[in-house]
Parts: sequence; structure tokens; C-alpha cells
Amino acid sequence: MPNFNIDADPKHTYDAIVIGSGISGGWAAKELCEKGLKTLVLERGPIVEHPKDYTTAHLDPWDMELRGGLTPEQQQKHYKAIRSGFIGQDTEHFFANDEENPYTEEKPFLWIRGHQMGGRSLLWGKQTYRWSEMDFEANAKDGHGVDWPIRYKDLEPWYTYVEKFAGISGEALGLPQLPDSHFLPPMELNCVEKHIKKRIERDFPERHMIIGRVAHLTQPLNGRGQCQYRNRCSRGCPYGAYFSSNAVTLPAANATGNLTFRPYSIVQSIMYDEGTGKASGVRIIDAETNEDIEFKAKIVFCNASTLSTTQILLNSTSNRFPEGMGNDSGELGHNLMDHTYRVGALGKVEGFEDKYYSGRRPNGIYIPRYWNIDENSKTDKFLRGFGYQGGGYRMGNSEAANRKEFGGDYKDSIMKPGPWEFFITGFAECLPYHDNKVYLNKEVTDKWGQPTLSIDCEYKENELAQNKQIQEDAVEMLEKAGVKDVLGFDNEHEPGYGVHEMGTARMGRDPKTSVLNGTNQIHSVKNVFVTDGACMTSNSCVNPSLTYMALTARAADHAVKELKKMNI
Amino acid sequence: MDRRKALKFTGSMAAVAVAGPSLLSILQSCKNETRVDWQPQFLTMDEAAFISKIVDMILPRTETPGALDVKVDIFIDKVYARLYDADGQNHVRKEIEKFNADCISDFGDNFVNLSESDQIKVLEKAEQNSGQFGSAVWGTAVGNPEPVGFYRSLKSTALWGYFTSEEIGENVLNYDPIPGAYNGCLPLSEVGNKWSL
Repeated sequence: MPNFNIDADPKHTYDAIVIGSGISGGWAAKELCEKGLKTLVLERGPIVEHPKDYTTAHLDPWDMELRGGLTPEQQQKHYKAIRSGFIGQDTEHFFANDEENPYTEEKPFLWIRGHQMGGRSLLWGKQTYRWSEMDFEANAKDGHGVDWPIRYKDLEPWYTYVEKFAGISGEALGLPQLPDSHFLPPMELNCVEKHIKKRIERDFPERHMIIGRVAHLTQPLNGRGQCQYRNRCSRGCPYGAYFSSNAVTLPAANATGNLTFRPYSIVQSIMYDEGTGKASGVRIIDAETNEDIEFKAKIVFCNASTLSTTQILLNSTSNRFPEGMGNDSGELGHNLMDHTYRVGALGKVEGFEDKYYSGRRPNGIYIPRYWNIDENSKTDKFLRGFGYQGGGYRMGNSEAANRKEFGGDYKDSIMKPGPWEFFITGFAECLPYHDNKVYLNKEVTDKWGQPTLSIDCEYKENELAQNKQIQEDAVEMLEKAGVKDVLGFDNEHEPGYGVHEMGTARMGRDPKTSVLNGTNQIHSVKNVFVTDGACMTSNSCVNPSLTYMALTARAADHAVKELKKMNI
Repeated sequence: MDRRKALKFTGSMAAVAVAGPSLLSILQSCKNETRVDWQPQFLTMDEAAFISKIVDMILPRTETPGALDVKVDIFIDKVYARLYDADGQNHVRKEIEKFNADCISDFGDNFVNLSESDQIKVLEKAEQNSGQFGSAVWGTAVGNPEPVGFYRSLKSTALWGYFTSEEIGENVLNYDPIPGAYNGCLPLSEVGNKWSL
């Protein structure tokens, strides 16, 4: 992998600027570069070059002085994100510095950020699902939010297109609520999961339990290696076996010779030309030198991640747009959504004490939505629905520590794996509410003196009703499946924990009620495209990243056609 | 809110544990030849001797190395020194003191000075009285568990240090840094001990 050209030229007018290099920005860079556009990618943080910058990828616990623990200084640096429970010494360098990049929680909201080349594509869960027709129709049918300007058929070829390049493993089921992808072979369920799958599908014929569909290669693809089952994904995968911008899209963009990649470039605003009625480029602050620099381009793709994209647009003011670029509707910053998180059940599974597994599978099980998918599954308790993730495994240290024993026999016994445990945890769709919002906070500035975001968002009646059902159903399914000591739980986590923040610059048919059109262009600034989570009009109950990829590839295709027609 | 704070505290403590004998008690003692042959970063020599003794009792040498063979006590001191903030460190210190105070009131002396049979009684009682860790999913606790007591936390830290030591991780447990494949169902007898990673 050759080094990136980081020599960005302020005097040059690029064909395209892409803001951000995470999942959607990486796709924008690849598509635009491959279609011949000279493209400048602006990344807020450092370069993380695959695979040489995955500095912790091969460390065993004993190779780390503190065996993975975080010092108080490191904890303070991530004093917000640490709530998530998944930051360690091996990954903390891929989580943004919360002290340098503050945000204000008007109501509790966890905002997990990755400020480096690849963004959160290095850290994501890799669960990869197509959205269905019922997702794109949902707003129109029940009247919450505005209608999506697209339907499943508009996105279907683009799903296939991105899946063939990204590499998605999974099992085809033909379910209307969870359309099949173009699949690589699925990963395997373990013996306990297979057992519980049989029981759940026997007791609840309308429910399915499947291996997670994931952006991991189960066979080599385009020079990338297949998953080695180390489950050290978040340190960066040296094999390029899971989809990240670093391993997949950015190398493809770079191979065209059309890519310039400028690190340490904090986008301050998108510049608006009152004469042409178009964006003329992007204004940045160099994170290392604090220098203000402007870069010019014919089109701009804003892919800074949901809330950062909206922050940039809100900060992009002009005579024409005093309330933020493209904010004629007043909807910019509004309709923030996430998936509810950490509601479900777990328990112990007996009868498999003599069974074990080998390999550390970076994947679990998935139970697709089964409420409100047809006449038979309608409920009057809530709108829309939820799915579960989960898995079975043999327990480790915490179970061993809990045994009321000590001494030689105890020590010898805990050399063997602990009991089997199985859990499921739900992800419920959140309705788009105008008053779930973010706005610029000029009182609190970041390390570079820029205004920050205040986040004012909460789950409401429909989400809480789903959480209740998630827990009830989870307990019922596990108990019927013969799981012992079943514990239902609802951690009552605030939004943000799902790390599926969506909305705040939604797509729509009507410029009066939405920010973006059906091809992700700002209604009133047609050469600016937003294809990250900010564009989402509703949030389904399934993981969104694959949909960002498909929307981005589709919008890039449209952008290049429009450029050629001189329409933008 | 207090409960959440307590949980959070326990969470950060869960990485750690505490105990401690006093240097004076070591000098006075001829029953237990407790010695500390390393320089603690956080613990006093007395406290270090206490930690060493207790982790040796939890994980003694058998056919496989014990806690002291793989320097679990030194690791625990490092955890307190490097991963605990001042509040956490004070908490540890107080808990060690309290543990020994209980030993004195029940058996007449600090833990390290007690006879082996009394030390066993102390740990048996601590096992009953220290609570248990609740379940966790993907790094966050579920089900509103009560915070665990000091002994359980210390034991957990000892297990952490023991199982993440190179000797145990590579030579005693099954070590396979690059499995290359996933097999979801095989007889445990084909694997033997648990996987280390």
C-alpha cells in the first residue's frame, strides 16, 4: 500500500472534497476517485495506514504493562466514551479525546467518536443488514417524521454493489423484513446457539435466530485475507478481513492516483458562494498548526459522521443561510435518533459441559424483527419494532471469581472453561421527533476555539414501550428454551449507547420539511451531498452502516452524472 | 444516583483488590515467615505481605504455578499504583485496614500473623460475605448488581493477573493467537484447559 499524497493545494480547485474518512467518507472517496474526480479527503485526525499503524494488533495481554487497563489519565481523556465499557489500553488511541472535543449533554447522551483516518470504521461492530421496504415506508404509513424520498428498489442495486466490494458474510433467509445481501459463506453458530435456535424456532414459528450478518470476509476477496478469528478487530485488522475505510475503500481510492488525503484537517465550515448559489469549498483549521486554510472544489461530500456533519452545516452560515447551510426548513439539527440498547435477558445453559469451541468469532446471533411486520404480528402497544443480537459462550474470570472457593482444587478447576451463558439484547427503532435535537453551543468551545454541540435527546413513550416488550419477550424466549437462572434486564441507557446516531439533516421530498433531497443533495445547495447518518429520515431497527455505504455510492454516481451534465 | 456511583466505583475497583499486613506484625511474627522481596509502588511492605499471602492462598502452587510464581502480588500493586486514582487508592488502604481489624477482633491478630487454620476461616468467611459480580454484556453490567466487597474484588484482580501472565497464558492455558478458523462445537476433551485469549 503506497503512502498517501497529503500535499493539498489551496490554489487548486478540486473536483470534489470529501469531509471525513469513516465508513461513508471512505466510500465517497473511492467512488469519486474511481470515476475520475480529483478528490481531496479532509480528515480531522492522523493517518492510520493499513496495516502498519495498527500498533496494538499483535499484543497479548502480557505484552501490555498494565494488561489492557486504563490509567486515570487515560480514563480522564475518555471521560465520556468510557461509559460505553469498550475502551481498553489496546484501543484507546482510536477513540476521540473527550477533553479536547467537549460536548454538552442537555439530557444524557453518549457520543462516541473516532478522530482518525477510517474514523469509527476501525471500531464498528460490523453487523451488516439491508434495510427493508417496510423501513422506507414506515414514516409514510404511520405519519411520524416525513416520508423517505426513496424506496427499497432505489437502493437495492446499490446494496448489491457495495456488498460485492465490502464482503458480507451471512445466510440467506428470504425474510421480507430483512432482505438478503450478496453473501459470502456464513459464520458458524456454536452448539449452544444451535440448540437455542431450534427451541426458539419451535416455540415461536414466526421468529428466527440466525448467525449475525457481518462485514467480515469468510473467504479472501480482492487481495484481502479472510477472518482469522482472533477477535481483535478494534485494534485494526492486519489481514484486512473486516470492512474498514483503511483496509478497503481508501486503498482503492488511492490506487486511482486521484486521491489527496489531508490529515489533521478540522473542517470549520463549508463555504457558500452567494453569486453561484453553490458551495465553493471548505474552510479548515489545521489541528497541528492552528492555521486557517481554504480549499476549493466543485462538489462537497459531507461525511463527518452524523452529529459532526450537522455541526459543520450549522456552523456554515452566510447571508443566504444565517441558520446554517441548507437550513431553510428549520429541521437541521432535529430528529436525532439512535437504537435503544442493553435491554434483554441472559441465563445459563446446562447440558453442554463437555462441549467447547475453538477460535474467537467476532460475531454473534441475530433475531430479526417479528412485531408489526404483517397483519398477524401487529401490536397496539407500540409502532415499528426491534431485533436482538446476542450469543452463547463459556464464562470466564468473573464467574470464577464468584465461586465461593479458594485454594489448590479451586485453582485447578478454573483452568477449565466456566458454565455456558447465553444472552440476547434488543435494538429498537426510535421515532423521529423534532424536539430530539442538537444545536451549536458557542459558550463551550473546543481546543481550537470552535463552537461545540449541545445534545438534547431522549427516548419517549414508543421506545420505552418497545423496551418493555424486548425484555418480556427475551425472558419468555430464554425460559421456554430451557435456559436456567434467566435474568431480564433494562439498563435504561440514554441514547448514544447504540452508537447508531441518525438524523439531524434528513432526506425528504419537500424542501420545507427536510434538508436533503432523494439523492442526498442539500435541497438549496445542490453541490453539497450528505451521505452519512445525518441524512437518515427514520432509523429502522437494524444496523445502519450498510445503508450509508449504499446511499453514498448511489449519491456519488448521481453527483458525477450531474457534474458531467453541468447541472451542479 | 448513589447506587450508580457505587457501581461505577466498584467497576473500576473490579480491576483491583486489596489487603495488607504491617511491617511491625511481620517483624513480630515468627509463625508465618511472610516476606516481601520486591519493592511495592503503592502498597506498604505490610500491605504487600498481606496481598502476597492472600493471593497465595487463593491460587497456591499445585502441579501448575501459583499466584506468587507469576508475580500476581506485584501486578496487583501495580494496578493500585497505576490504574487507581487517589480515591480508589484510599479506598483500598481503608479496606485492608478493615480486613485486618476484623482479623484482630475475630482471631486476635493481623491476617498474616494468624495460624493457617484461622487464615482459612477468614477467607471462608470472606467468600460468604463479599457478594458476587453481576452479569455483564459487552462490557457493561446488567441487572443492577450490588457492588462486591473488597475480598471479591481482590480475588478478581488476582485472577486477572494470574490468567494474563505470560506463563499461564502461553504454557498452562490453551494459547492460540491466530486460530484461523472457528469451530462452534467440539469436545472439551480435545481442548483440555480453557483458551487463554
